[in-house]
Amino acid sequence: MKIDGLSKTFGEKKAVDEVSLTVPQGSFYGLVGQNGAGKTTALSMAVGLLRPDRGSAQIFGIDVWADAARAKQLVGVLPDAMAMPERLTGREVLTYLGLLRGLSPQVVAERAAELLAVLELDTAEKTLVIEYSTGMRKKIGLATALLHAPRLLVLDEPFEAVDPVSAATIKGILRGFVSGGGSIVLSSHVMALVEQLCDHVGVIDAGRVAAAGPLAEVRGAGSLEDRFVELVGSGSATAKGLSWL
Amino acid sequence: MAVAVTMARMKIAVLRHSLTGQHGGMVIAGGSLGAVLATGTIFLAFLDGDWLTAAYAVWMLGWIIGPVFSGGGDESLRPEFFAMLGLPAHRLAVGLLASAFVGVAPAVSLLALSGLVVAGARQGVLGALVAVPAMVLQLAAFVLLSRVAVAVLGMALRSRVGAVGAAVVNGAILAFLGQGWVFAVALGQGSGIPEFVRYLPSGWGLLAVRGDYLALVALAVLVGLLLAAWAALLARRAGTTRPSTRGRRPMRARSAQDAVMAKELRAWTRDLVRTHQLTFALAYGLFFASAPLVLGWPGMLPWAGPIFIVMAAAMTANQYGDEGTALWLTVMTPGVSDVRGRQLAWLVAVAPVALVVTVALTAVNGGPWPIICAVTLALLGGGAGLVPLMSVYGLVPGIDPARRGGNPLRTSEDDGSLTGLAYLMLVLVAATAAPAAVVAWMFGWLGVPVGALTGALCYWGLGLLAGRRLTAQGPELLHMMRTGRRPETKSTFQALDMPKGAQTVTYLCWGLAMIPLFPQGIVASVFLVNGMYEHSWFLATYMAPGLRWPTAVGMIVIGLALLGTGWGLMRRYRQKEVTA
Repeated sequence: MKIDGLSKTFGEKKAVDEVSLTVPQGSFYGLVGQNGAGKTTALSMAVGLLRPDRGSAQIFGIDVWADAARAKQLVGVLPDAMAMPERLTGREVLTYLGLLRGLSPQVVAERAAELLAVLELDTAEKTLVIEYSTGMRKKIGLATALLHAPRLLVLDEPFEAVDPVSAATIKGILRGFVSGGGSIVLSSHVMALVEQLCDHVGVIDAGRVAAAGPLAEVRGAGSLEDRFVELVGSGSATAKGLSWL
Repeated sequence: MAVAVTMARMKIAVLRHSLTGQHGGMVIAGGSLGAVLATGTIFLAFLDGDWLTAAYAVWMLGWIIGPVFSGGGDESLRPEFFAMLGLPAHRLAVGLLASAFVGVAPAVSLLALSGLVVAGARQGVLGALVAVPAMVLQLAAFVLLSRVAVAVLGMALRSRVGAVGAAVVNGAILAFLGQGWVFAVALGQGSGIPEFVRYLPSGWGLLAVRGDYLALVALAVLVGLLLAAWAALLARRAGTTRPSTRGRRPMRARSAQDAVMAKELRAWTRDLVRTHQLTFALAYGLFFASAPLVLGWPGMLPWAGPIFIVMAAAMTANQYGDEGTALWLTVMTPGVSDVRGRQLAWLVAVAPVALVVTVALTAVNGGPWPIICAVTLALLGGGAGLVPLMSVYGLVPGIDPARRGGNPLRTSEDDGSLTGLAYLMLVLVAATAAPAAVVAWMFGWLGVPVGALTGALCYWGLGLLAGRRLTAQGPELLHMMRTGRRPETKSTFQALDMPKGAQTVTYLCWGLAMIPLFPQGIVASVFLVNGMYEHSWFLATYMAPGLRWPTAVGMIVIGLALLGTGWGLMRRYRQKEVTA
């Protein structure tokens, strides 16, 4: 995935300002930044969910905005906090989306069964998505992203509210995906997680790229967390205390 | 008391913010309209008879029905916000009640209720003094009745039986309001106000002012009871919907379009809000068409089916908006016709019921078959075409279903636009049947193929337009859904770019203009010209010979005045846009 000069302004606020990033094929790319730094906006523009004011986005060389149909076949997306077809069960969501993606009913049934089993959603067979917990919603979202065997995964906060056991399962799936030749972009606030999983990292601050490249290069000698605090520059984060505690 | 004061102050803060920007236009427009109505009500206090009582009954009905119909009413302070504070239910209720008194609607109602002081002063000093507590208690009763009605309905919507029951009651009330004159004529040719109106809770304040002090006590007791009921309902509301445990039939769709349809049909059967929408439309159609039976005229019965179709289209016109950000899945799978699947599902949900009702009731009435068949076919196609089209062009951003509060009726933060959309749909869908109706009126059965043709054309063509718009503007629509705001790019649909308030008033005017202008005005005139004075759906046919023409012409004037007001508002904002 390659994005070049992506910009988006909401009203007066420049949410994303000339962001350019290259995600090498086969890499596990972590995008980190504070709340409101523009990660979600940038990723939405990169996969075709939000039209940029300026700039371009390509997935495996295909322009996301000029040839949306082809580009979107190659990518699986897990957006943060978006609704699903709420009145369907997990299996029905996957069946529905698989058919939308043009898979044959038989393939859909097999993959849905496997995804539900691996993500441990098959115990809630009769539960509608609207009744899912936050963690279950993340998992069904991840399942929809993986269903059509994309070559690139773009995941916005995939581990938020997911319990540790499921998180370990998901990490296993994602590592397997990368070692099989796929590429992953994930956004997160959790530096330890990015350090543990990713080989490349991009730091976004106030809508701009503060640093990007292989993890070892960006991190330097210290931990990613130290480097991150240094880059986004709020300074004495640890010194602030609460007066009444 | 501290809780009540704090909540009232929170509400004032919310109100202050809502007075700025686009939303302010709506508040001011609504407030002005309300003030005019309130002044009119005060004027009634100078008249003898039961006019004031009747007016207060209408105000009460407005308080009960308004929020139920527009999606739950004012919910800027919700009980869920305070769930973690550990307040006892009655203190929470008192606090929320205090905040409920802060707002434009209560202020306007209080103004209207000051008619009690006028009525009291006409009785003497004591009457005027009694009027003051009567006013306050009466307002408290209105506000509480409104809250309890919404809470009961919210509770009902958690079960299928409740949703259906609530929809039937709502449909009946609204249909009877629309056909009010039928009952007025039935109750003594439109002159007297029935005596029971005096003894409705809305009349208790006036009874007290006129010397029946027991009514004041009764009003206080009623307020206390309603407050207790509301507190109890609030305590139950805090929980969310209970998980379903019903068996699920497996999805057998084999193609993308079938999958969309299968998903939609599941939404139709599993989402109680949609159940409510459809049942409401059916109840409205049945009650509206059967109301003239009170006058012994069955001629409207065959129209129950067509009215149901039009109302169903109006209720479901915000399909994409109601589903919130789920649109992202459609945006991510371009090339799939989401629209066609939805159209088919809409037809499957609406057409069978509509056809059964239409055929059965037309048979009961013994015709007129050609025009009914023609109109029904045209409307089914028109509705199936307009629903997706309007829901992409006039999209009102909805709240994601998983994030709706304890009030399942509230599907959007923007009730004004939702109501506007519904009115607009009523007019547009009805208009799709016009060619078929005209041909059937003139040439009989020839109207049926015309209806089938226009229906098919609407289904195909409007669906195509909706699909194109969805493909071209999908990301923008999704962004609107995420932020709840329209994007800065100019919409091609100019009318919806007006400030919300003006928009609501415009749609209201247009919606209300239709019944006086077309059926009660123009069609009634045609009847009069042809010497058809037989009592039917037209008020003019019930009037004394000298009053027939003035009635029909008056109806046309009312209709044109409403249309003109809406048009003028729209022009004003267009010009402002150009100069800005």
